[in-house]
Amino acid sequence: MLWRCCLVLIGALCTPVLSKHLSNEEFREQVSLQTLQDGRVASTFSFNILLKDATPREPRTLIFDDESQHYNLFPLALGQILREYAVTELHLTLNAGKWNYDSWGYPKERDVGTGAALWAWMADGGPTSIDYRWQGLRNALAGLFCASIGSLDEQRTTSPVLPFAPEGSLPDWGVEHELRHASLASEHVCTENLTPFLKLLPCKSLSGIASLLNPHRLFDADWHGMGLHVLWNPDAGVEVRLAFQLVSDPLRISAGKKQDWSFSTLFDRTIERTCPVAQSSIVDVALPREALYNISPEPPRIDQNVAFYDLTNMSEALDVKLKWALDFTYPLDPLKITSMPISVRRTLQGASQDRGQLSLVIKNNAPFPLQVLYLETMPWIVQFYLHTMRVSSDTSGDDFISNISYVPSVPHSRPATFQAVLTLPTESTVYLTIDVTKAFLRYTEHPPDAQRGWDLPPAIILPLSSSNAIRSEFVGRIYTPPLLVDLATPDFSMPYNVIVFSCSLIAFIFGNIFNLLTRKFVVVRLGSQQGTSKSKHD
Amino acid sequence: MSSDSPFWLRKLTAINSRLFPRGDANLTRLKRRQALFAAIGRRLPLLRTLLFVAGYLWILAIPTLPGQGTYIDENALLPGQVNTNWNWAEVHAADRYLDHIEKLRDDNATSEQRAKYFAEEFKKLGIPASTQNYTFSTVFGDSSGTNAYATMSAPRSPGVEAMVISASWLSRTGEGAGSLNLRGVSTVLALAGFLRRYSFWAKDLVFVISDDYLEGMQAWLSAYHGISQSNLHTNDLDLSSGVIWTALSIDYPGHSFSHLGMFHEGLNGRLPNQDLLNSFIHISKYSGGVPVILYDYVDHQEYPDQYDLLPSWIPASVRQHPDVKGYLYRFKNVLRHGRYQARGIGSGVHALFHQFRIDAFTIFALPATGPHGFHAIGRIIESTLRTTNNLLERLHASFFFYILTDPDNFLKIGLYLPSAILISVAMMLTGLSLWVEAGWTTSGDKKSTDKKWTRRKRPILHVLAIMISTHLLGVTMFYLVNNKLFFRSRICPVAVMLITAVPPIYAIFIPAASPSDAPLSVVLKALNLCFASTVISITTVLNFSLAASMAILLGIPLSVSPTSSRRARPKTVYYIAYALFGLGWLVLCPEGVRKAVLDWETLGVWFGPFLCIVIAPLVLQAGVVCILV
Repeated sequence: MLWRCCLVLIGALCTPVLSKHLSNEEFREQVSLQTLQDGRVASTFSFNILLKDATPREPRTLIFDDESQHYNLFPLALGQILREYAVTELHLTLNAGKWNYDSWGYPKERDVGTGAALWAWMADGGPTSIDYRWQGLRNALAGLFCASIGSLDEQRTTSPVLPFAPEGSLPDWGVEHELRHASLASEHVCTENLTPFLKLLPCKSLSGIASLLNPHRLFDADWHGMGLHVLWNPDAGVEVRLAFQLVSDPLRISAGKKQDWSFSTLFDRTIERTCPVAQSSIVDVALPREALYNISPEPPRIDQNVAFYDLTNMSEALDVKLKWALDFTYPLDPLKITSMPISVRRTLQGASQDRGQLSLVIKNNAPFPLQVLYLETMPWIVQFYLHTMRVSSDTSGDDFISNISYVPSVPHSRPATFQAVLTLPTESTVYLTIDVTKAFLRYTEHPPDAQRGWDLPPAIILPLSSSNAIRSEFVGRIYTPPLLVDLATPDFSMPYNVIVFSCSLIAFIFGNIFNLLTRKFVVVRLGSQQGTSKSKHD
Repeated sequence: MSSDSPFWLRKLTAINSRLFPRGDANLTRLKRRQALFAAIGRRLPLLRTLLFVAGYLWILAIPTLPGQGTYIDENALLPGQVNTNWNWAEVHAADRYLDHIEKLRDDNATSEQRAKYFAEEFKKLGIPASTQNYTFSTVFGDSSGTNAYATMSAPRSPGVEAMVISASWLSRTGEGAGSLNLRGVSTVLALAGFLRRYSFWAKDLVFVISDDYLEGMQAWLSAYHGISQSNLHTNDLDLSSGVIWTALSIDYPGHSFSHLGMFHEGLNGRLPNQDLLNSFIHISKYSGGVPVILYDYVDHQEYPDQYDLLPSWIPASVRQHPDVKGYLYRFKNVLRHGRYQARGIGSGVHALFHQFRIDAFTIFALPATGPHGFHAIGRIIESTLRTTNNLLERLHASFFFYILTDPDNFLKIGLYLPSAILISVAMMLTGLSLWVEAGWTTSGDKKSTDKKWTRRKRPILHVLAIMISTHLLGVTMFYLVNNKLFFRSRICPVAVMLITAVPPIYAIFIPAASPSDAPLSVVLKALNLCFASTVISITTVLNFSLAASMAILLGIPLSVSPTSSRRARPKTVYYIAYALFGLGWLVLCPEGVRKAVLDWETLGVWFGPFLCIVIAPLVLQAGVVCILV
């Protein structure tokens, strides 16, 4: 009894302190679940932490000691990195899988490029160069997220300003802001990346919405990805958004019959308690449009066919269940339902190890012409022959491509950046092909891993908002799947064969030439025989 | 050395002075080298014969050579280490598909209708699917069809690697003679519905139901890899996936099967990595409980009656001996392998994959009254796919050059390669000795030891002109054969054969060499043999069976063409014999010619052009030697 009294007392004393500190930090969490037309379920978790009235560090102040950092909700490990390298805006995504735009439509979290991608806006003018800070940022984030972001070196770093415009605002310090972008398609995202991600959350995965993030289920999904977005809003402050997105397939479990799902089937968990520091904690479920279904528990609020559950005053464990009356049948033409304006297919053709052809097929499904920005950030191991670029379409016309900008690659150091605006006529397909040559690597440039080929980063298609009549929800980067390129590779698993063959060859050639160079040629008489003379090597 | 020293001492001193002679070391070395060459030269006919005999015997002995047991080299494969889930519900699904497909067959559905049905079934399973129309235009007219294919994206994978599971509409029975692969197609459909239920796939699964026997798959693979073929008209594929690493082709023509046959030879003599085959054999035997055989030859111990092949005059004790039967069993396997590889035709749909660095083989369900069916084949394929799914890198560890004598034993390249090389060395030695002979002539008394050797000029340019002209003639012949008109009437092959008359006429008009020069025939034969030997040696590492066939067929005939006029009275008879030997197939096996032309046009099999442009001219050159004598 005494104990309980003490606890109450301590709690009463602490509350004003906590709320005071909390007043300049804000944490909101939300999960959106949506049934996709192919029966899969897309869940998007987003955790927003706002540091009110804060500003990013100005690089010119890097020469001074930084002000001390005290946060209650804002992740300190991340805050230290942001201030140490004076990063204004930061985006990091770690995704696994191929987002199927044709059947899943646009994702809620737009950046779904396979593997790791990191881009940051940083201001110049500091004591150290932007590239130096970029390198530090990469290594720090690599440590924080247990990912190979550290290997996103200058061989992968580009600066495509147009498709990666800042999402927040850039402070006006009178110095230029620059973009650094790099992606690593071969990064495998798994549980070792999730643990540090959860550590950045105020309630970890112990309570609130984050308690659904059960690694056993997340990494069994068809697609999963996490993102970290830091941006500055002059009216609000520094905002951190941690997002986790996954696409699960309830039909896989039910042998292709029922698409019913619940928190327990999707995540093997329910939400037991709320996160006490969350200002808002919302579950929203997009309800099916043309089907008989049953959702339980009964949603307190339904707005525009979306059911909302507020967790802040939750009394019992929440396990949202959605059940359909009828068995599921797959739609035969998925595109009709998702109404994606654009379908993209990018392939690397040709079976040889020295050259090939990059082919991009973009189909405009919309009943109006579209303009898109096409971006390739290609590592130098694949080099474009720009003069072989051919653009054609199944409709008449010829100026499908304009505003080409090309930063050629530099072997062994810099990737190429290819940007162009493609004009897609109404309901037509545009084909772009370009011949490429595959590099011959120095032997130290081969990675020591299993030799499966080199992953090329995804291409990015950005529908330009200047196009008429395009709906706002269709503005966002579209990522193509990555490509795998086979370069000429020695069989490193058999070093002795290689050594034996190459040494024999060298010894043979060297021996012969050395012999010829150092010999003296004289005439030798063979005594009584025939009297003929022969030249003789000695 | 005094004469009274003992015999042994004298002998030792002689040996010593021979080994360590006094005087100029260089001079002795030269003398020693001359003596050595003279010794070899004297025994050259014997050496040659020995090499020929050893080579031919070695080839005959290939089935009995002490090979080694197959084993799995790539640790990542882990064959047969999984529990399979394919069960009777999936067998039922396969049976339902089979009912539909049989109905399609009975309704005489067109390729397009069939492909549409397959694509729709894939879509009903939630797998994106599409069809591909193609037309091959060849000298025999156009042939078109429609493929259906589906790409299942693996969960969480970027979709850059893929595995193919395919079935062609026509079975490989009789090399695509017309029996339908209905159960193979149903297996693929049922597998698609079954495999998509699992999340452990690391690579995309691509299901292809190709039309026809080989043509459909060739069209699909060309379109998939963006390879343009001038006589293939096809549309782009709507769906794409990643780099294909492995492919299985399923061929299940009968009602049930007793064994699973394995076909692995690819186009132009390529072979898949042996690890893939070994994994399948391991899985089939130990996980699936189905015995594996090579091709459709059952084991000699299980079915000894099938190997009673020797003529009846041989005593039964020999005929019935298990070792003899074992030899015949392995001989049949090796011969079948050689027949596929030498002609470069490949033994099934899998053959087309190898040209794109995809390891592939065909699983052939040997038709029988039992005991296995969909249940066994599904489990085995599921397990095999799980194995190939484990690969972190392309198959590279095991062998690419091998001969399987039976499913569990194989010969490494070092064991069989020397056989053809020995014959080619014998031919090379014959050629070189003739070359020396052509360059030198003796004068004076033959018996006296004091022969006078004088050099003479070799008319190389004339000889090269003859050789090049025969090869050009081969090119012309190839273009004539590769023509619409050639197959119109039976006279054409005879007419084309008549061009063999050109080289002798041409050779006769070559200005006679001055008597002091070497005779044309000797130089021609020397160069012909050296060239043939070089071609054989090079071909051994590209396509051993082709090289071995060339060694067997050309070795003796090219070496024995007469070079002295005394033995070659009826010159034209000799020539005609050679011409028939080199080009007789034009008239004698029109079906073979037809197939070679078709294979070249649709699949790019080099055997036809190689035969016309390289092999036949070599034989004609030997014939010209007889004319020139």
